[in-house]
Amino acid sequence: MRNWRSNRILFFIVSLIICAGLIGASSAGLLAPLQDIITPPLNFITGLFNRTTQDTLNTLNTDTDVASLQRRVAELETAINNYQSELVTLREVASDYQRLSELLNYTSQSQDREYVTADVISNADPNTPLRTIAINKGTRDGITVGMPVVTQLGLVGRVLNVSANAARVLLITDTSSAISGRLLTTRDEGSVIGQANGNLLMEFIPLAANVQEGDIVNTSGLGGNLPPNIVIGQVTSVRQREFELFQSAIIRSLNNFDTLEIVLVITNFQPADLSSFEQSASSPGNGG
Amino acid sequence: MDSFLSVPILVFAAVVQVTILPQFSILGGHPDLVFLITVSWALNSTLEQGVLWSFVGGICKDLLSAAPLGSSVPGVLIVVFVIHAIRQQLYSVGLLTLIWVSVLGTLFQQLLILIILLVSGFQPAFANRLGYSVLVDQFTYFVLPTTVYNLLTIIPVYWVIRIIQHRIRSDQRMARRN
Repeated sequence: MRNWRSNRILFFIVSLIICAGLIGASSAGLLAPLQDIITPPLNFITGLFNRTTQDTLNTLNTDTDVASLQRRVAELETAINNYQSELVTLREVASDYQRLSELLNYTSQSQDREYVTADVISNADPNTPLRTIAINKGTRDGITVGMPVVTQLGLVGRVLNVSANAARVLLITDTSSAISGRLLTTRDEGSVIGQANGNLLMEFIPLAANVQEGDIVNTSGLGGNLPPNIVIGQVTSVRQREFELFQSAIIRSLNNFDTLEIVLVITNFQPADLSSFEQSASSPGNGG
Repeated sequence: MDSFLSVPILVFAAVVQVTILPQFSILGGHPDLVFLITVSWALNSTLEQGVLWSFVGGICKDLLSAAPLGSSVPGVLIVVFVIHAIRQQLYSVGLLTLIWVSVLGTLFQQLLILIILLVSGFQPAFANRLGYSVLVDQFTYFVLPTTVYNLLTIIPVYWVIRIIQHRIRSDQRMARRN
């Protein structure tokens, strides 16, 4: 009897069937236990490589030029002086805010956020269309799917899937990511969508909104997927066309997603589950 | 021996691809090391080995991304079968072979991954906004840079893989003689 592998067409078909089976089983979550066994050692190796690379690059990039360091110190001293005067003004505003919020019995959501710090163990791979990063915290640390991930510079993304000791974060620059955003200056809202080039596009901004380059865009909290008032990025250009009902703006995140090292996961925020409303709206009985 | 080598080599390549290469990315891209190593190995080995390396490489890549397990395999698998079919007509692997394998192979593999992610529902927003400009964006910022980087790096990768293959074969010959 001929070896089945000698028949190239049969071998090809069998290989493709195995591929389809793998993809189907993985999409259905059947391979999750197997992945949970394989991924921890792989994540360990990836984390080790990432840390070593970052440390080496940081060492190489350390500025040893004394003259440029002195110039930099002078610049920073000027900046500190400017910020100190600004800080005094802002403290006064904050105390006014505190007093007024106590009068209104209002508690800001941003004051009681809980964070878990995580190291980035693998960066976004430009060779795959999904823009994700992996972090070294998982269900053992209280991480669940949907939790927002931030840095001091702003929003990074949301937890897409999670294992015992690691989690994968879908970056806001992924083309499947859509976030409700709000312009800080005008309070106008729009939808911030990831672009293939790594930028963000804010769509559906009302035509009347006076959007300027440099405006900060925050999360609006609409939709319940993310908490409000997290910085998404800064407007770099505005597009307004006569025949369109809305204007759009290109947003640049302050984060460099290729070189992220440490991120914060907001652990006490649970995304709102609106699926039951969607089901009841689409059911025939409610259709009218 | 050749089969066992696939795991450490491809795991190493996949890890380097998601840790070291993004730090040096120019114009938003870098070479797809796993793909290059797999096709370079397949160019001078049996079909069975090429298929095994495709599976190991694809699974390593998928384990380090959010894509469903196996979604990177079909593209490189089909390229390996095509390489095997065409290689029988060739006397040896030349520069032209490496160019078409890197360019056409990468284009085909990347487009197939996009289609698989679309079909498996991993890019819902992309599917909803499927239009000419989105496809052009995907091609400009994702498929094209990878193709160019693969074209530039296939020769050194192929050279290293050939050295490893020569070494293994000479060891095997020595072992047989003894």
